Amino acid sequence: MTYMILIFLIVVGGIGLLGALFAVGIYNRLVTLKNRYTNAFAQIEVQLKRRYDLIPNLVETAKGYMAHERETLEAVIAARNQAMAGLKAAASAPGSAAAMNQLAGAEGMLTGALSRMSVVVEQYPDLKANQNMMQLSEELTSTENKVAFSRQAFNDAVTGYNTYKQTFPPVMLAGMFGHSQDASLLEFEDSAKMQEAPKISFS
Amino acid sequence: MDFFESQDAARQKTGRLVFLFVLAVVSIIVSVYVVVSGALHYTTETENARLWHPGLFLAVATATVAVVAGGSLYKIAQLRGGGRVVAEALGGRLIPRDATDPQQRKILNVVEEMAIASGTPVPPVYLMASEKGINAFAAGYTPNDAVIGVTQGTIEQLSRSELQGVIAHEFSHILNGDMRLNIRLIGILNGILVIGIIGYFVLRSVAFSGSGRGRGRSKEGGGVAAILAIGVGLAVVGFMGTLFGNLIKAAVSRQREYLADASAVQFTRDPSSIAGALKRIGASDKGSGIASPNAAEASHMFFAKALTSGLTSMFATHPRLEDRLRRIEPGWDGTYPPPRVVAPEEPAPARGKRPSGIDVAEVVTGAAILAGATGEGAAAGEAGGAVSQIGQPTTAHVEYAAGLVRGLPAPVVAAAREPYGARAVIYAMLMNRETDVRGAQLQHLAEHADEGITKLVQSLLQPMEEVATEARLPLVDLTTAALRELTASQYSVFHDNVVALMKADERLSLFEWVLQRMILRHLEPQFKEVETARVKHHSLARLEHPCAVLLSALSHSGHHDLAGAQSAFEQGRSRLELPRLQLLDRRQCGLAELDEALTVLDTVTFKLKRDLLEAGVACVSADKRVTVVEGELLRGTADALGCPMPPLLPGQPI
Repeated sequence: MTYMILIFLIVVGGIGLLGALFAVGIYNRLVTLKNRYTNAFAQIEVQLKRRYDLIPNLVETAKGYMAHERETLEAVIAARNQAMAGLKAAASAPGSAAAMNQLAGAEGMLTGALSRMSVVVEQYPDLKANQNMMQLSEELTSTENKVAFSRQAFNDAVTGYNTYKQTFPPVMLAGMFGHSQDASLLEFEDSAKMQEAPKISFS
Repeated sequence: MDFFESQDAARQKTGRLVFLFVLAVVSIIVSVYVVVSGALHYTTETENARLWHPGLFLAVATATVAVVAGGSLYKIAQLRGGGRVVAEALGGRLIPRDATDPQQRKILNVVEEMAIASGTPVPPVYLMASEKGINAFAAGYTPNDAVIGVTQGTIEQLSRSELQGVIAHEFSHILNGDMRLNIRLIGILNGILVIGIIGYFVLRSVAFSGSGRGRGRSKEGGGVAAILAIGVGLAVVGFMGTLFGNLIKAAVSRQREYLADASAVQFTRDPSSIAGALKRIGASDKGSGIASPNAAEASHMFFAKALTSGLTSMFATHPRLEDRLRRIEPGWDGTYPPPRVVAPEEPAPARGKRPSGIDVAEVVTGAAILAGATGEGAAAGEAGGAVSQIGQPTTAHVEYAAGLVRGLPAPVVAAAREPYGARAVIYAMLMNRETDVRGAQLQHLAEHADEGITKLVQSLLQPMEEVATEARLPLVDLTTAALRELTASQYSVFHDNVVALMKADERLSLFEWVLQRMILRHLEPQFKEVETARVKHHSLARLEHPCAVLLSALSHSGHHDLAGAQSAFEQGRSRLELPRLQLLDRRQCGLAELDEALTVLDTVTFKLKRDLLEAGVACVSADKRVTVVEGELLRGTADALGCPMPPLLPGQPI
């Protein structure tokens, strides 16, 4: 009698243990995927920071030529500062919907301000021909390409995380393990425009 | 012990481990059976008085095997995920390849130089920014998914040469196959541990249910007592097994640490670099401690002891600091230098300047030793100087690598260091010289590649002209670190584009072939499940055709005339004990045939690979000079066989 109970216990215990191992596997996979998109965001951060560093130089160069356009230049700087704050908030919580929206919004404003500035620059042929200005705008364009590229990597990682989280069986356990929220993609408002052509063309 | 022997030894050790493991499982089954049947024997006096129950034994054996195998395989599968999983679990953050922070730049440069010097792809570097102790680790299953992690304390406190010592130590772990050995050990231990955990749970559940329901009838009481006894027995068996397993693991790990220290001295030819780093650990008040809660599991991967808990030396994964220092510096007086005040002491070395921290005299002696050793080899008419350096870069190689990187045009290096530009560098390297083919290639990129990439490729074409031919393959090594950061979908676009660019001129050049081999070998495992080649052949006797193809291809590559190729082939054949080998016609040993041959030859033991590479070296050096074509073909062959080959040094007799 006890003999049967024992075998039964061993079998049940074995199944239970396998189940536990399975759950641990799911948990670890979730953590891994989350870390992956956090790390992918760090790549965007590097490029965005470089972009924010370039803008004051750009404005500084432009200032000498277009003293009458202070408003436009100040708008660019203000938008840049706002975007920087957005990046800071987003870096502390990559994937959170609010932070991603704020960053995307601020980036959109900055892009708008920059394109208004480029329209104005069109009226100053000397500035357009300035060696420094040409270099800076080239650098800015290339940085924007890199942002687009690392944003794609980030979105791929986020999609991977969300997909795994929503499939069965992880979907049953994800909430329990503290992964209830889907991570948000980072979509810039004008991403269509961004793909189309570099916005800044001083040359 | 050279690269080939230690790779074979690592594999043999794994074989021995499996044997020990089977032994352990058998003894565990017997112990579990004794525990279970003993418990039954004492509680049910009348019915089952026999000692031998085949049915029970079968049940116990099946359950034990299932549990241990499940536990082991699960852990191994988890750790096989590659180095970055481990690094992220330890709280590491990837340092972007194009980091500008001087300290981060310094560690990246040191790692790059060491990787190019040893002919492996540059591993990604993770920074544990919140760790103030001085420590570092290498993690991964193969050199292709290896990562290196360093603590903030390491990059703040160590000088450049001390960093070189630490990184050389970690590279030795990568090149010696220590990581794979460790992962298997952990897996096996986990399997045994699971038995102990089951016993513990049985014990707990019985204890709880027993106190809850109070004392039942005597029969049930007997059953509970039996289960209790089994719980205790399982826990004892499991935990004892783990205890002894850990002792063995720690002993193995300590030996590997001494070996890695010795290799670090060999790579840098400078005992003071690694000794200096160890002394800094001894001097620092933080020591080498790691605060991350996951450190215990990975403690054996670190450069120095990661846990400061007071375990006895028998369980320590690392030998005592003093013991390590005495082995490196027998004359050490036992004192540590005063701890360095954290300050950005030296800015990253300026381009074009010799990296600070390397003693000029050391380099000269290192080079002299190298020249001496190879000179002797040449005098004795013995080929294989280049082969004996596989997995064992020297200072001369590190210096050469640093020189190569410095000699590359700045825009190319900058692009190679980040994932966006790295693809453009590879595309630009594949651009054809003929204008119409090149036009078609650019057209393809404009249609299929990312926004702006065509422009970047075009802007890289001019500086790419300045890249010396011998720097092309190291440049590919340089890009792999950044390319590994692509996502799976980005990689598949990249891969398709590379194939399309290669096919644009309707013929496969040697460089294209080597490049494709390198990308397949170093990047593919990152994105897809790739089966690692298993050893299938222990002799070359039945592989005559592939051997003939390899040697013929190498012979033809350096000689246009048949007589020259024939004599080169003779040289190579004499290294292999295959007298019936015939030189094949040039058309029978093209790159496609070579590709097939190498796939087969990848399944031989490392000892045989060494023979093959020595034969290859003999072929290309038959006429006492090695052309770039021959060098690249050799490098591609070594890469295809999974042997990281240091760059051939200019003027090096091989």
